[in-house]
Amino acid sequence: MSEDKNLIKNLEIKSYGTQLSQESIKVIAESIGISTLSDLAAKELADDISYKLKQIIQDGQKFMHHAKRTRFCLADVDESLKIRNIEPQYGFVSKDFIPFRFASGGGRELHFQEEKELELTDVLISAPPKAPLEVSLRTHWLCVDGIQPTIPENPPPLSKELQAQDSVNPVKKLEKTDLKDTSGKPAIKAHKLKTHETVHVKQLATHELSVEQQFYYKEITEACVGADEGRRAEALQSLASDPGIHEMLPRMCTFIAEGVKVNVVQNNLAILIYLMRMVRALLDNPALYLEKYLHELIPSVSTCIVSKQLCQRPELDNHWALRDFAAKLMAQICKNFNTSTNNLQTRVTRLFSTALQNDKVPLSSLYGAIEGLSEMGQEVIKVFIIPRLKFISERVCNMQGPDISNTERNAAGHIRMCLSKVCAPVLKTMRSTPDVLEDYKRDFGFLGPALHQSVIKARQTPSSTTTTSTTSAISVPSVAPRVSSQPIHRQMTQQQPQQQQQQNQQKFYIKPSSPATTSNIVKIQSSQKIFIQSSPKTVYVTNPSSGSNPQIDDLSHLE
Amino acid sequence: MTNKNDLLAVLQVLKKYNLKGTETILKQEANLTDLPENFNHDASDSVLQAYQSEGDPNSYESCYIELLKFVDSSLDIYKYELSMILYPVFVHMYIELVYNGHEEQAKKLMKKFGPEQEYYYQSDLKKLEMITKRDQMSGNDLTDTFKSNEFIIRISRDTLSLLKRHLQEKKASVVMNIVNEHLYFDLYEGVARNKKQCDATAGAILGEARRQDNKVKVYYGLLKETDFQQMTTQAPPPEEDDDEGPDSDKPKKKKQKKDSLFSKKSKTDPNAPSSDRIPIPQLRDNDKAEKIRALREAQKRVNLGPDNLPSVCYYTLLNSIYSVTSAEISEDSSLLAIGFSDSTIKIWSLTPSKLRELKPAEMLKEIDRDVDDVLVRMMDDRKAETSRVFHGHTGPVYRCSFTFDRSLLLSCSEDSTIRLWSLQTWSCLVVYKGHLNPVWDVKFSPHGHYFVSCSHDKTARIWTTDSHQPLRIFTGHLADVDCCVFHPNSNYVATGSSDRTVRLWDVLSGNHVRLMTGHKGPIYSLAFSIDGRYLVSGSSDTRVLVWDLAHGHLIASLEGHTSTIHSLCFSRDGTILATGALDCNLNIWDFSKLCDDLVGENVNVSHNPDVKKGEQYLLRTFPTKQSPFLTLHFTRRNLLYGVGMFESN
Repeated sequence: MSEDKNLIKNLEIKSYGTQLSQESIKVIAESIGISTLSDLAAKELADDISYKLKQIIQDGQKFMHHAKRTRFCLADVDESLKIRNIEPQYGFVSKDFIPFRFASGGGRELHFQEEKELELTDVLISAPPKAPLEVSLRTHWLCVDGIQPTIPENPPPLSKELQAQDSVNPVKKLEKTDLKDTSGKPAIKAHKLKTHETVHVKQLATHELSVEQQFYYKEITEACVGADEGRRAEALQSLASDPGIHEMLPRMCTFIAEGVKVNVVQNNLAILIYLMRMVRALLDNPALYLEKYLHELIPSVSTCIVSKQLCQRPELDNHWALRDFAAKLMAQICKNFNTSTNNLQTRVTRLFSTALQNDKVPLSSLYGAIEGLSEMGQEVIKVFIIPRLKFISERVCNMQGPDISNTERNAAGHIRMCLSKVCAPVLKTMRSTPDVLEDYKRDFGFLGPALHQSVIKARQTPSSTTTTSTTSAISVPSVAPRVSSQPIHRQMTQQQPQQQQQQNQQKFYIKPSSPATTSNIVKIQSSQKIFIQSSPKTVYVTNPSSGSNPQIDDLSHLE
Repeated sequence: MTNKNDLLAVLQVLKKYNLKGTETILKQEANLTDLPENFNHDASDSVLQAYQSEGDPNSYESCYIELLKFVDSSLDIYKYELSMILYPVFVHMYIELVYNGHEEQAKKLMKKFGPEQEYYYQSDLKKLEMITKRDQMSGNDLTDTFKSNEFIIRISRDTLSLLKRHLQEKKASVVMNIVNEHLYFDLYEGVARNKKQCDATAGAILGEARRQDNKVKVYYGLLKETDFQQMTTQAPPPEEDDDEGPDSDKPKKKKQKKDSLFSKKSKTDPNAPSSDRIPIPQLRDNDKAEKIRALREAQKRVNLGPDNLPSVCYYTLLNSIYSVTSAEISEDSSLLAIGFSDSTIKIWSLTPSKLRELKPAEMLKEIDRDVDDVLVRMMDDRKAETSRVFHGHTGPVYRCSFTFDRSLLLSCSEDSTIRLWSLQTWSCLVVYKGHLNPVWDVKFSPHGHYFVSCSHDKTARIWTTDSHQPLRIFTGHLADVDCCVFHPNSNYVATGSSDRTVRLWDVLSGNHVRLMTGHKGPIYSLAFSIDGRYLVSGSSDTRVLVWDLAHGHLIASLEGHTSTIHSLCFSRDGTILATGALDCNLNIWDFSKLCDDLVGENVNVSHNPDVKKGEQYLLRTFPTKQSPFLTLHFTRRNLLYGVGMFESN
């Protein structure tokens, strides 16, 4: 409270004696055709006008208060003029505030308002503006017997900012409780904080769910991985929009992490896709802040990108779609949660790029790594993929022989398609115009002709469309979440028959392991290691900065 | 002498308008034969004469600094009371400097010491700071207020003598003059107050209330209501039984309950006014039926408390950003009136029953007047709608008020009129013109017939629905009267104002009987507790203050909001206070606990008791999603309704 008062006081001091300057008066005078206004006259006018303006604004505030607003409107000025028996400013109407622009130059500061000149005929020709919507009433329960229901009409019980603060700054919680019981007594506060710190930090947080929440959790998780597509859509919708599920978030994340672990081993593509869609829904929920749970989500998602095998029949099933989708998720996670302290994007990029360095990585993992990198944006493609193109080329080239399995050939084809799609826009900007096929062959080996083709194609089409085609899914994920998840959905329905079978027999593999047994949950200790747990053998990727080359083997271990 | 001056002023007016006849008569009557020659100077000038000073304009600053030093160096027990005089002295110094044309010195003084004054005076200082020339002072509200009123400071005898001694020693004529001319010291015996006590009641435009202001006895008890028990048992209205079939078969039980409900009121309350203190209209059959219905509902009431919090149903107004100015729910919670800034009023029915219109005259003729359900038959079912709009005002509608029986609606607007609308014919019945400026608030008396309004013209007025003229005009507030409310016994009216005071007026005499200071910002909402003893007020200083009407003391300050509080509501059993503010929060306070805590204390009549802090009484806070509260209303069964508009970003 005292801080507030200080703040107010500072503002007060600043606003003491504000006045229109003489220059302003002169400029205004010029604008109405009075070019020679003496300094003295300008000063007198400035004084008088400032006084009158202030009075009008002051009275206008009363109208603002009585209209129960906190924003000053043009209408308030009009009414303030009316009570002084002055004609209001007819014709100046603005529902919102008028944006003033600020400019400075030549040692002067200027605030001005941009006024566009309208062509009258244009106004007449254009369609009349839409009639405003009629005011309507809507009812909801703000609280029931003293408990606020967590429905979309009510604000989330724990605001996103608080959740963010909670996860970023664990001391915050302690400070806050202290502040509450010693407000206004700064001397005691410092003392108390100290004692609390030693006692409180080690306390275990009990985390209880109400019966309703448990029921909700059961229903949602069953629906998300169940057979009924309609129920799943509803469940995902609920995950993506419900404001009150943050309490269940640890359980949800554990469910996803455990589910991925089990189903990667079982090669259950359908369930993996469902789980990724759950991740997507959680990411889309505007009321949630996931940072605390990234240590569970990121390994799961990266598993779905780079795992060697994700389905039972790699030559037939479209596991590529899952990899693409998971890669998009990863890009979105990086975009949302990357900070200078967690270096999320750097670490994820590093994970993928190491796969490109290794010639033993299976092709499906290679594809995942490329996809994962390409979703991170053009700069990443330029730095990590382009230099490795020749290397990848060789590997793909090796897969062309007759003795190579169908699966491998299929994978090689996908890599080629993917590369020509994502590299073309980047190569277009990197290389100068005469695109000589020989140069491409020399630089990129086997993939040269394909890349050459796509670059030429890219040059013909307008640049804007080509660039957005690769990045749009990342840059605007929250705007059209339903739309972008569509492709995977469609593929699902194509593969419906065989998956139904799988689901029936494999449903029990997803066991929502009880969150209390946290010992088997993989954790990221805030900076150093990322574990990928995808098979009974724990395989982990360590930070490349730690020296040697263990990670080269990592992905091959997935075999 | 003052009397003579008044007469002179009147004569001057007469002379100005050349009313010779009246002038001579007045002269004869007042025995004013020997008129002074120089009485022609401007009247407003004579008021300002006080500021004519021959003091050196440069000495003001040093005088103020000296006073500041004196206050700082005095003993701690006197310090805070002494510091109360700094602000008025500062203000009058500034006015004096400006009046005498020393603009530079005035600006310098303001710049140097203005920001040092208490935060609650800053808004006034900013208004004052605008005035830098003598001609700007004429007609300025604030300077007029300071000129023509004394600034009131409650001070202990010791502190005052200390101050006087200092002033005489230093021969500080500038300060001395101001203290003598413009300050009024309300002396009391005893220990000087500490900072907390001083701050609690400071903040009003002209200092604190005099002890004199709060001496009159206030009959805050409730009127003895007509006993409806017998009526209900003797002749239950037929349509009632149709509505509530399951209840009608156990009248025995009902009667017992009702006894307990009324047992408190059946005793004569020593604080209650006699029921004929002001004439109260007879109840019509319609009113009686409504009262009976209210009683029945009250039986189903949930008793609220800290362990039994209310449920809140929230009505959100969509598509209404910045166009809604007020909302009001009828006593029986069936109707909602919304006032818009485009000067329309929209009525919604909150129940499934629609808004019906009276049948046209030729159809009314055919109805048999002796039938029991004549009132129902008079209404036209074919023209029923769920919402209706009133057009008539020419400015934003700042408040609406329903009568108890839902047949009439009052509305007040920026166009400085009050309108009375019929909710049966759905048309405007009366336009009450009287206020000179926008009318901020209007409220019906709980017994109907009377209503109170308040306005930008600094007055509050009492009207009856059947007269064009107001019955009483309450003047005394020094700035806009922003809100007003009738006491549950209809004998008193409370008003809250931009001069940061709350006043209580006696409807019978028209005098103000309580003057309560302590708010630091304009007051926008008022409510009486159910038992009539306490008054709560919500202000833009984000606090809700609780006042005891018995002595006019400030007893509690409920702090929990972060923005202006525009709605206050007590639960029907008086245990819970709900407050809603523009910060989109609804706070629930434990009012019964506050009352219990107060009963134990022995109240010193002349001294303000320690002000209780609100934190311990705050039960719960419920935020809404960007919907600031327009109004709150407890239904007869203690369900809480809230109304707000959705402000999307």
